[in-house]
Amino acid sequence: MDELLSPEQLLSSLTQIEEAFRSDIAKVATLADLQQVRAKYSGKKGLVTAKMKALSSVPDPVQKKEFGRRINELKNFVEDSLKGRELLLKEGEQERRLLTEKIDITLPGKSVQFGRTHPINQVLSEIKDIFVSMGFGIEDGPEVELDHYNFEALNIPRDHPARDMQDTFYISDDVVLRTHTSPVQVRVMEKTKPPLKIIAPGKVYRCDADVSHTAMFHQVEGLMVDTDVSFGDLKGVLELFIRSFFGKDTPVRFRPSYFPFTEPSAEVDIGCVFCKGAGCRVCKTTGWLEVLGSGLVNPRVFEMTGYDPARYSGFAFGMGVERMTMLKYSIDDIRLFYENDLRFLRQF
Amino acid sequence: MKVSFDWLKEFVDVTVSPQEVAHRLTMAGLEIEGMEIVGSDVVFEVNVTPNRPDCLSILGIAREVAAVFGLPLKMPDMVVKGVQTESTVTVEIADSDLCNRYTGRSILGVTIGDSPQWLKNRLEKCGIRSLNNNIIDITNYVLLELGHPLHAFDEDKLHGRKIRIAKAGHNRSITTLDGADRELSYDMLLIWDGKDPVAVAGVMGGEGSSVNSDTRNIFLESAYFEPTSVRRTSKALGLKTESSYRFERGTDIIFLENALNRAALLIEQTGGGNIHQIVDAYPEKYVERPVEIAYDRINSLLGTALNKAEILETLQRVGVRTEDRGEKCIAIAPPYRRDIREYYDILEEVARIYGFDRIPARIPKTALSDGILNSKEVSVGRIKETVRKTGFTEVINYSFMNGTDLELLSIPAGDSRRSHIEVMNPLRQEDSLMRTTLLPSLLNNFRYNLSRGTRDIRLFEISKIFVDEGGQLPKEKLMLGGIFFRENMPSVWKDETPSFFTAKGTVDCIFDEMKIKGQSYEPSSEAFLHRGKSADIVLDSVRIGFIGELAPVVVEKLDLKISKPEIVVFEMDLDKFLSLAPDKLTYVQIPRYPAVERDIAIVLDEDISSAKVMSDLSAYISGFIEGVELFDHYKGKNIPQGKKSLAYRITYRASDRTLTDSEVEDVHARLVDYILQKTGGQLRA
Repeated sequence: MDELLSPEQLLSSLTQIEEAFRSDIAKVATLADLQQVRAKYSGKKGLVTAKMKALSSVPDPVQKKEFGRRINELKNFVEDSLKGRELLLKEGEQERRLLTEKIDITLPGKSVQFGRTHPINQVLSEIKDIFVSMGFGIEDGPEVELDHYNFEALNIPRDHPARDMQDTFYISDDVVLRTHTSPVQVRVMEKTKPPLKIIAPGKVYRCDADVSHTAMFHQVEGLMVDTDVSFGDLKGVLELFIRSFFGKDTPVRFRPSYFPFTEPSAEVDIGCVFCKGAGCRVCKTTGWLEVLGSGLVNPRVFEMTGYDPARYSGFAFGMGVERMTMLKYSIDDIRLFYENDLRFLRQF
Repeated sequence: MKVSFDWLKEFVDVTVSPQEVAHRLTMAGLEIEGMEIVGSDVVFEVNVTPNRPDCLSILGIAREVAAVFGLPLKMPDMVVKGVQTESTVTVEIADSDLCNRYTGRSILGVTIGDSPQWLKNRLEKCGIRSLNNNIIDITNYVLLELGHPLHAFDEDKLHGRKIRIAKAGHNRSITTLDGADRELSYDMLLIWDGKDPVAVAGVMGGEGSSVNSDTRNIFLESAYFEPTSVRRTSKALGLKTESSYRFERGTDIIFLENALNRAALLIEQTGGGNIHQIVDAYPEKYVERPVEIAYDRINSLLGTALNKAEILETLQRVGVRTEDRGEKCIAIAPPYRRDIREYYDILEEVARIYGFDRIPARIPKTALSDGILNSKEVSVGRIKETVRKTGFTEVINYSFMNGTDLELLSIPAGDSRRSHIEVMNPLRQEDSLMRTTLLPSLLNNFRYNLSRGTRDIRLFEISKIFVDEGGQLPKEKLMLGGIFFRENMPSVWKDETPSFFTAKGTVDCIFDEMKIKGQSYEPSSEAFLHRGKSADIVLDSVRIGFIGELAPVVVEKLDLKISKPEIVVFEMDLDKFLSLAPDKLTYVQIPRYPAVERDIAIVLDEDISSAKVMSDLSAYISGFIEGVELFDHYKGKNIPQGKKSLAYRITYRASDRTLTDSEVEDVHARLVDYILQKTGGQLRA
């Protein structure tokens, strides 16, 4: 059959096969179609395979070589095309399968619902972090305290009008619920030699309750003692603290005041965070808000704890954490902190 | 204290606005808390600190204004001129330690009547109501103006026209001006006439000797009473007056004579009468207290560089006399400044008049503290974060509890939670005990939130409790308490873990976080917990807390209006817990050879606890067993009644080679035999 064909005929039959293949493969839509096309051309009885077999019957070696080259080209072309086509078809099939596995990605994730930290403790941590970063240590002391540590050792003797400044809960004549965390300072001074740089955070108690007072609240008091501590140092440290906490452009002023355990004593005011100093209800139109009490440690307190006031000086300060928190989050009723309503607590 | 700006201007020629005066006074330590316009006048609300009784008057504020602005002070007429008849009243001080000076003047033949309008207006602006009695109004006027309390007696009612200042002694009572009968105690200082007590010294006059519209002859008192004595008496009687307020803070023993004269002159001016000679008993003379201070001490303590002249000028402004002694100065405070007693009082005067704002701020150069963050602080922080991340929100409660709380929880007698301490003066009876457990507060928080419609209530608190152990102060223990309640939370992704185990998971997380091992859960005998769903948390044979579902009887008493709630509570002693924490962690080498895992499922009696099986498995001695993990717990279909199935995954590993299959098979088979025999169980089919 084929041996009867002239070389020209042979070559043109290859061209026909190639064109037929191009047309067939273009019509392939599925892997099954592809299988048929593969059988038709490169299967055992395929058209290209048949041409390969016919090669041996070409007598002229020159023609045979030329024919062999062409047939090989065709074979490679067919096989590459089939392979390429198969790859594309397989990808498509997988794509279709993945689509059937599709999920609604907008369904909620299974998240772990964390609880929240009480806002007072969040702010307390922030305050502690600022002072710790300035090299202050943290000290703790009893909440039920001896009158001696809460008052006497802080230069507030019995029958002194300064006792009126703090409404006190009594357990007995000699034992009170501490009205400030200052007794911690005294206890630390009794057992530690200067220099000293500490803060004492914790709960304190006053028998007083209204929109701005609760029977219990939190204070952070601080103390720094060394051989050359001045009022200028007090200003430097507290200004740095206030700017860290309220923002670096916060106006700060120091105003003389009175505390029995410091002298000179200073109230520290910041520019009102609500009206920016213009005057509003919260700052009683003054443009300033009181945030800290402070002063140079009264040498009498040093004498009572065994520090030599001729050699050492120091400053102390104290602030109410509730007040700081109220200013930070614009909270107008202090009692919210102790109602522990989850709708409140989860906001922080 | 209220201060009229117009009145103030009679004492000092200040030309700047009231606002400016208020600002400068505030910055010098006299805080002006408010300003109110009254007609053409401005009234200041001044916050006077307890150390500055000298500022409790118009004169006192005027002195400060004069000092701050460097202006001279103008004084009213305080000299009684002309020839006066001798006093008709005699004065005797019996307790001179409590009354250092007592002066008085008789004014005979006065006309009692209404006060002039200007005087009434001033009283009213400063918050004192006129009593339509010129004598009483004038004593109040002088009190406001000069800061010295005065008292007017009806001289005709003084027995024997005698005044005697002595303690109450035995069994005395007095009816005070306000009509109240006052029980007196032994040490209270009284003013007596020839027979009876006529006033509580420095606090309030007696009704019997008081001035009324029929009074013709008065005896005016101006005295100095010892502050502590007045304060004790005022507190004991529960009677706080304008007089006692000033006496207990300290008055001016020299100036009191001027106040007496000023009042006498005003009485004469408005009610006529004849002013008699002063009677002056003055047994304890005022002694000046010179204070010495070095100039460079002032500068080093303030952080300033003031020169000598600046310091001396500043002190003179506040009425302090100074004598320069080269490196230091001697400062003598005026008698009205009893707060200036030490060098640091002088320091304060310099600082506040110079201006705190002018003192340069600096960052201190000091040594660092040791123990910047104490380890307990860090540990508690980690525990708090762990609990929070398992879904609990932190609460803070008052440290108080109600006695009935312990009844609700059926805390037995003898339990340490019954050893509470009590507040003598609670705000509310419900808040009279200091907490010995955090549970009552958490139950309150739970009820509060539940009643507001919240159905996912997971709360915890870390706070101290207070247990009376017989010492002077109670033992303070740091506790962790929690409450867990989630009512059928509808959710896309189901989680059917029972509440008890979710909460227990939180407790286990704390142990894991703190790397504390070996906790066990043993049946609890807490009466407020569900008998079958509660456990004591035990570590190293020490009970450190409990966890469990609230007993139905307690839930019932809470009256929650929801049916069969599963409320799980826990409480742990963190001090004990942390004392058992390892001091340090040491790294263990990561295994180099692979592990082989084998599972075993056992069907056994349901009364055998999983912890028991676990401990039996862990006790089996083999060098190859690395870990045992419970991964299934099942009761129900295919498992006989009264039985349960527990499945464990055993991890085998050798540290020096890869185990062969036959080695693993061998040890696993022996372990299976062992555990079946130990538990009396069977392999699950």
